[in-house]
Amino acid sequence: MAPPVLGAVSVGVLFALLFLRVPVWAALVMVGFGGNWALSGFDSAFALLGTTPFDTASIYTLSVVPLFILTGGIAAVSGLSADLFRAARVLLSGVRGGLSIATICASACFGAVCGSSIATAATMSRIALGEMRRAGYADSIATGSIAAGGSLGILFPPSIILVIYAAIAEQSVPKLFAAGLLPGVVLTLLYILVAVVMAHMRPQDQPVAPRATLGERLRALRGPWQFLALFGVSIGGIYAGVFSPTEAASVAVAGAIGLGVLSGRLNRAGFAGAVGQAVRTSCALFAIIIGANVFSSFMVQTQLPTLLADTARALALPGVGVMALVIVAYIVMGCFLEGIGMILITVPVFLPLVKSFGYDPIWFAIIVVIVVEVGLIHPPVGMNLFVIQAQAPDVRIEAIYRGILPFLLAPLVLIIVLLLFPQLALFLPKVIYG
Amino acid sequence: MSPEPARLPLWAFWLVRVQTALAVLAAAVIVAFTVADVVMRYGFDRPIPGAYDMVQAMLVLLVFHGLAAVFDRRSNITIDLIDHLLGRRGQGVLVLAADLVQIAALSLLFWAMLDPAGQAYAYGDRMLELGLSLWVVWGFALSGVAGAVLVALARFSADLRQGGRA
Repeated sequence: MAPPVLGAVSVGVLFALLFLRVPVWAALVMVGFGGNWALSGFDSAFALLGTTPFDTASIYTLSVVPLFILTGGIAAVSGLSADLFRAARVLLSGVRGGLSIATICASACFGAVCGSSIATAATMSRIALGEMRRAGYADSIATGSIAAGGSLGILFPPSIILVIYAAIAEQSVPKLFAAGLLPGVVLTLLYILVAVVMAHMRPQDQPVAPRATLGERLRALRGPWQFLALFGVSIGGIYAGVFSPTEAASVAVAGAIGLGVLSGRLNRAGFAGAVGQAVRTSCALFAIIIGANVFSSFMVQTQLPTLLADTARALALPGVGVMALVIVAYIVMGCFLEGIGMILITVPVFLPLVKSFGYDPIWFAIIVVIVVEVGLIHPPVGMNLFVIQAQAPDVRIEAIYRGILPFLLAPLVLIIVLLLFPQLALFLPKVIYG
Repeated sequence: MSPEPARLPLWAFWLVRVQTALAVLAAAVIVAFTVADVVMRYGFDRPIPGAYDMVQAMLVLLVFHGLAAVFDRRSNITIDLIDHLLGRRGQGVLVLAADLVQIAALSLLFWAMLDPAGQAYAYGDRMLELGLSLWVVWGFALSGVAGAVLVALARFSADLRQGGRA
């Protein structure tokens, strides 16, 4: 069998295993090992399998993965995320749709510390959903704004997905973090716009809360200072060139623990729970990265990406056409696959193709993250939607699906903007890092 | 069938606890060493030598020893797209079958890692700044994977005895 054909068949086998509930990491390892064996012989495949786990787990850059997940966990159990929501709620009182906007803004800020979309959605469900329902918000718009806001967690630095992309695409983490910032802000504004439009189209779904006094607003501003300090010191430290990402993540963990202890809100049980969860989540991610590295070494050998690029050229497809096909493929896969697994499976195939058409890998990373965001909130298998339903089992899944649909427009608009103006992602990395 | 996880045998329960404790300890060392390095570098212009190597070694400890808890809690990421098409029993069978694939993959990794670990021991390579023998770090990795294989087997047999777990 010709290597590209073997590659294509193996991708099919991989998807079959995934749908049969084989964990993503194991499917990647088995298919990657089998493919390498078929192409290079058992000894070579076995040697590669022996060194890949150790080489992957000792990548210094990836040490930020457990650290930022831990920061987010500690911030959540210390009530720092609740402070954010409370402040946004008071500041936006008197505005129609104020609670939806507050949820989106608080999610963006929380995502800017924890870097995980699911963690953001889970945390904000606990904090904001009850409050919105008590205020008379319809379940659909309440859950829609939480799911949409939660997805921002992977676009803002310190996005865990961007760190993993950096590792497999051999890109700079600080540059990727810088590239995600402006699109993250634009997407937040687009989500807010959707919430405002929905509030005016269906005012009965989002009643206006009584307006807070000036004194209440000023007091509310004091709440989230700890969060802003954490973000400013850690992520600001990376942009300023003071910290490496690992140093920033360590400082953020130490800062979150310090703030939690000083405020008296971080107890032993909460801390132990956050640490245990961070270890499990990180190690599950590392297992997938190890599998993806085995799989991608096989993909490189099959020359499938080269064949895809040659085919696209033979069909005289323009670069934009190729990108459109890639984006559609991601959105379709996002209906069925989990985000990080999808990135690890597809980037080794698509990145060489996209680069061969002259696109910047940093810009492509942001596009990939946004399409993963769409997958996170897109029915039927949007992970954020399930996270919200797990937190509020009495909310019907149909209501959650109905609520998220208008918000899906926002990332699609952002993708078009990025296709037309790549500088939206590339401007900051160029200004900061040259 | 039961939605609750079956109880692991006592040895596996303690193995998970010890391995998780090692992973947590590794995370704590990474944070403490890195923060101390930052403070020493900016406060006293004396960075801690070997901080980079320490992070790498502890990351290996964290990743491989944290795996036991992942397999115990079934925290591995899976695609459950066809779950609703199957009955509860069908899901349970699929989960246990996937477990077997997973245990095979994990055992294969352990077997494949033995040779490079042996080479690290034979050649006596050391980490550049820290001077720590590489075989020690390989030991972290191998012992972590071995523990994860045992825990995955214990989880599989405990759930099998209970009649499968969806």
